[in-house]
Amino acid sequence: MIYSDIAMDAVLLAVLADLFVLRTQMITRGIFWLTYGLILPFQLLTNWWLTSKNIVMYSATEIIGRRLAGAPIEDLLFGFSMILATLSLWEFFLALNRRSTKK
Amino acid sequence: MAKFHYALVLLFIAVCAVGVNAGFRLKISRHWRIFLATDAVILALYTAWDVWAIENHNWRFDSKQIVRINLFGILPIEEILFFILVPLMTVLTYLALKKLGAKYGRSVAP
Repeated sequence: MIYSDIAMDAVLLAVLADLFVLRTQMITRGIFWLTYGLILPFQLLTNWWLTSKNIVMYSATEIIGRRLAGAPIEDLLFGFSMILATLSLWEFFLALNRRSTKK
Repeated sequence: MAKFHYALVLLFIAVCAVGVNAGFRLKISRHWRIFLATDAVILALYTAWDVWAIENHNWRFDSKQIVRINLFGILPIEEILFFILVPLMTVLTYLALKKLGAKYGRSVAP
């Protein structure tokens, strides 16, 4: 169940980076959760397409086996980590850019 | 046409991205440097994970439903485009909601 493990690590790393490395505190902002909530149904839609047509196939030994919209439940963790990391990095680089143009 | 089954998902996301960018007048192209920096990190991390996962048989792709252009020998080009388009769509969704929040008072951002 290595996919399960890595997916959980990815969420943990994204949260730690958001709070302590990039210091963007996205997970404390309402706008972040609103954005995530809006993207989630689209993730489920694309997951359903990719898995129901067997475009992507997962090894049964690397997942816990519970599925949502056709895809392993682990995909939710992967998706969350990528959305959080993206918005956290975006805010980080935006702030960095603002600071450098002010000087 | 089956070879475009994965690509169809990418086309769908790309159409949404263009629509949201234009509809909300977000002018994302003005922020290309910020997006490039953001996506460079995402691409590095998630393609590394993807390549490793394919090599270790965590998942695989149906060779009949992808265009069969592979990077590093094993990574379908669709995956690379996915890691560009999804972060782009994520940022656009975020910016659109921020704009809505600013327009209709009661900002959702602190």
